[in-house]
Amino acid sequence: MMTAHIKDKTLLQANNVSLRYGDNIILRDINFCIKDIIRPDMQQGQVISLIGRSGIGKTQLFKILSGLQQPTGGSVTIHDGQTVRAGDMGVIFQNYYLFEWRTVYQSLMLAAQKNNALKGNEAAMIEHYAKAFHLEAELKKYPQQLSGGQRQRASIIQQLLKGSDFLLLDEPFSGLDVCVLDNVTDLLLQVSVSDELKTLIIVSHDITTSVAISDTVLIMGNEAGKPGATIKKEIDLVERDLAWKKDIKKEKAFIDTVEEIKACL
Amino acid sequence: MEAIIDKPLEKTAPVAFSSSGFRQIFTPFGRLSRQNVVIMIVLQVLITLLIWYTTSNGLIPKPGNVASAFGKLLTTKLLLDNMLVSLVLTLKAMLYSIIITLFFAYTSVIPFFKSIAQFIVKCRYLTLTGLIFIFTLLTKDGSALKLSLLVFGIVPFFTTSFLAVILNIDKQEYELCKTLGYNNWQTLYEVIIVGKADQVFEILRQNFAISWLMITMVEGLSMSEGGIGSLLIKYNKYNDLTNVIALQLVIFLIGLCFDFLLGSMRHWLFPHSKLKQAT
Repeated sequence: MMTAHIKDKTLLQANNVSLRYGDNIILRDINFCIKDIIRPDMQQGQVISLIGRSGIGKTQLFKILSGLQQPTGGSVTIHDGQTVRAGDMGVIFQNYYLFEWRTVYQSLMLAAQKNNALKGNEAAMIEHYAKAFHLEAELKKYPQQLSGGQRQRASIIQQLLKGSDFLLLDEPFSGLDVCVLDNVTDLLLQVSVSDELKTLIIVSHDITTSVAISDTVLIMGNEAGKPGATIKKEIDLVERDLAWKKDIKKEKAFIDTVEEIKACL
Repeated sequence: MEAIIDKPLEKTAPVAFSSSGFRQIFTPFGRLSRQNVVIMIVLQVLITLLIWYTTSNGLIPKPGNVASAFGKLLTTKLLLDNMLVSLVLTLKAMLYSIIITLFFAYTSVIPFFKSIAQFIVKCRYLTLTGLIFIFTLLTKDGSALKLSLLVFGIVPFFTTSFLAVILNIDKQEYELCKTLGYNNWQTLYEVIIVGKADQVFEILRQNFAISWLMITMVEGLSMSEGGIGSLLIKYNKYNDLTNVIALQLVIFLIGLCFDFLLGSMRHWLFPHSKLKQAT
């Protein structure tokens, strides 16, 4: 039985996004819409997986969605139809980049100071997040002194403090061992329920892990006879009753969905 | 280099002398213990002194004579006075040079100033000797002439080094600023001015040698004010090779002291630079 929910207002809309370098078409006709999912009696954000083969153009689409790169055609709009600009989205890069010359606390403070909603409470919020993400002992350290997992958490807190509703993650599961992988997925789920409008867009080629925590899957690929990648298929995991479940990976319907995605690539 | 030699071995090999470990001095990427490095350097110095001692004839002074002249030189007021003159001039020149360099390097991200910075970089191909007359006309006295020539000589090298730092900035540093909602000026401040502040010390350290090299040349232009350069010229004039080499040794040691001082200051003021070096 499908989990009770309704899809409300549009949070993000990609309209005919295309990207080309000279005659080389990288992306074409990218269209999708992310809506606010409302579940009764609970705060539920959105988690969207953008799946595609290596080199298909995921990173380019990631940069367009984050406003770091302008598309050749089309547009990405958020909230009330405003075109996305750099800074509108929280972005977590693949290697969890942080300013090497700033301590974790200084980096977090820089982000908090950019969030008007936190004015006057920056230090308190940093402490709150550091406690929640088990990073209190690392606040005075420099990024070079952090482990990969700590860097990742610091990077996520930084973008959370910045206060954007959207969080874009580029290959967050890349190179993680099994134990850390579980921690990261728990962390992302924790973030996704921290606010009703919180929307995570995960760009990954790790199908099983990303689909297991998503409510929607967008599959990028090429279509026969047409140059450039596009969204070949959109799978609503809520409709299939595969979203928001802890041990979903063991269910046959989930395994079948993963196979369906693989076949689509 | 020091990190390659010392660091891994502290974990893997005992500190004590090891003849098998010592064999690695002729092995590519060989790793030596700190003690073996010391032994190796002592041996290299001894071999150099032996070659110097056996090959020196009447014209080239023997190591003992140089050491004796070096000792005497250190106790004279002459050296102290001249050294102070040179140091003050070098530090002044370095201060002016770094201010000019930082201005043009920071503003090189603005298209209008980019071409000026690039022109300054090319100026390192100009010879100072050819510009002495012009600078003499432009300056009021010997002191100003020396300072302006030094600054003119140093700035292109400083600017070249600093522009290379700016050009090699990781794109992700800019992108992180953008995702945090920084405008272009805030990005310039965070990534280039704050983020690369430690590099200023590294550039100073690396280019101190150039200014130290030039000082001996420009001091020859106005010898009345003294300085290590003018002292060197005087000794050369009277073929006092023993004192020339002793003075070279002093110049060399002061250079090493500054190298160490600037490196230490960089690590003290910017602790992350030490971590970066260690990784």
